[in-house]
Amino acid sequence: MSLDRSTILLADDDPTIADSLAPFLERAGFHVLVVSDGVTALEKAQAHHPELIILDVLMPRMDGREALRRLRKINIWTPTILLTQVGEASERALALEEGADDYLNKPFDPHELLARIRAVLRRARPGERSLSMAWLLTAGDLVLDRRARRASLAGETIELTPKALSVLEYLMTHPDEAISRERLLDAVWGWEYPAGTRTVDTRMAELRRALDDNPADPRFIETIPSEGYRFIASVHGEG
Amino acid sequence: MNRLPRRWFRYFKLSLPFLVGLLLAVPAQLLLPFAPPTLTTIDLGIIGFVLGLTIRNTAVVAFLLGFIITGVVLLILTWDKRRVSQAQTLYADYVEDVQQKRRHFLRRLDHEIKNPLTGLRAALVNLQEAQAADERWQAGQNAGKAVERLTRLLTDLRKLADLDERPIERYAVNVPELLEDVVDAARSIPAYEGRSISLLIPKIPSPFPMITGDRDLLVLAVYNLVENALKFTSAHDPVEVRALEDGRAIVIEVADSGAGIASEDLSKIFEELYRGSNARTTEGSGLGLALVNRIAILHGGGCGVRSSQTEPRGTVFALRLPRR
Repeated sequence: MSLDRSTILLADDDPTIADSLAPFLERAGFHVLVVSDGVTALEKAQAHHPELIILDVLMPRMDGREALRRLRKINIWTPTILLTQVGEASERALALEEGADDYLNKPFDPHELLARIRAVLRRARPGERSLSMAWLLTAGDLVLDRRARRASLAGETIELTPKALSVLEYLMTHPDEAISRERLLDAVWGWEYPAGTRTVDTRMAELRRALDDNPADPRFIETIPSEGYRFIASVHGEG
Repeated sequence: MNRLPRRWFRYFKLSLPFLVGLLLAVPAQLLLPFAPPTLTTIDLGIIGFVLGLTIRNTAVVAFLLGFIITGVVLLILTWDKRRVSQAQTLYADYVEDVQQKRRHFLRRLDHEIKNPLTGLRAALVNLQEAQAADERWQAGQNAGKAVERLTRLLTDLRKLADLDERPIERYAVNVPELLEDVVDAARSIPAYEGRSISLLIPKIPSPFPMITGDRDLLVLAVYNLVENALKFTSAHDPVEVRALEDGRAIVIEVADSGAGIASEDLSKIFEELYRGSNARTTEGSGLGLALVNRIAILHGGGCGVRSSQTEPRGTVFALRLPRR
């Protein structure tokens, strides 16, 4: 699928954001529809069938979460990126139940948004539910039960700290995608700081130990030098 | 005919203590609202009855008893009133303190936002008006710096808010490993290249004890201390990170031989957005030490500081955390 001239529905009630993001995305080659509330977003999503939806969480008339929930209820599986206002853990955990494909904390660099848009579009299979919405993720003999917050390898439950489990969850829902340490920090920890990248490495080492994954010859997590990590096994979602 | 009133009079005499007790219970109830009324009545009545039986002169005894008890009640009441007014004063002081902190915080926040915002506006004007490409490029760079500062402030504010809302992890943490990570991270930052950072960890007679906590938060806390030590000292001032233990707690110290902190600043540096007299020119969100302190408290510990501006100069921050 060509990424050029894909239609993006951008819903944000703050004109300072929408007015600057829209021309930026247009320059990047997308066709952008701008709306400023959840109800209109819902209508436009049904009328125009965009390739991707960007939803702000806090909006008048209907918030971004509710709009997304209703879209999923009527079986519209358009890939969606949620723009969260604060880095609360609860908000990130909720993004899953609402069926968002990715989420980005405000304030963000517009180039980061563009990178996410491209990644989500690349992953998307039109009309199909994405991995972000599956409760049970399987990659070979590795199974992650997102609802029970439990992972098992060849039938045996593996001991993981909640952070390491969230890292695994993020990697498995974004397979075959180069994910930088900064992005993991932003998605799992909610904030980043200079020594933070090392924090990610510590958790990754814990994860690899638990998964019995050799960094030199990985089955699951590959290190991309000076870039980040990539989940290389193919992932299958259920439920 | 005569017998009946005499018998009634005897009953009356016997029940007199109870009646007096009941009468006493009324003021006792008014003065001591927390004592249950039936209990007070029965109690006073029984005391009066027992004394009356022993001394026979029931009415006098009951009167004396009532007199003494009223005295005691009045004493308790005066004491209680004083306690209540003391508590009220304490509470009023507390509320005033909280309000003052809030006012300070808002004033400092206003200041922290005002400066980068002014820079940003100036940069935007330059961007619109400048003709030369290099001037426009410089304006773009300046705008980027201002945005970076605002972002850092917001990120730190969010971290502080997060600490109060999110539960912290409680797992075994290897302190020497954690300190090595922090020191390595600080060394790898280009601005601190070539700085002397030494790490001292006791190994004898037994390995350093493990502690329980949230490793990521502890890394953040120690990193903030190490970064502060590097930031507020000159390039040739060495920084020392050391771990100690005294059986009950472990102490992580970050020491430098910099200019030291003024004594009037020492009590305030852990406040949110407070900037000491020699910290105004150094970049930072002003929230780093508040974060360190909050993380220490969440772990059941605390953070302290000692500093000297006269020789031997320097500052030591001590993060105290309970042992596992």
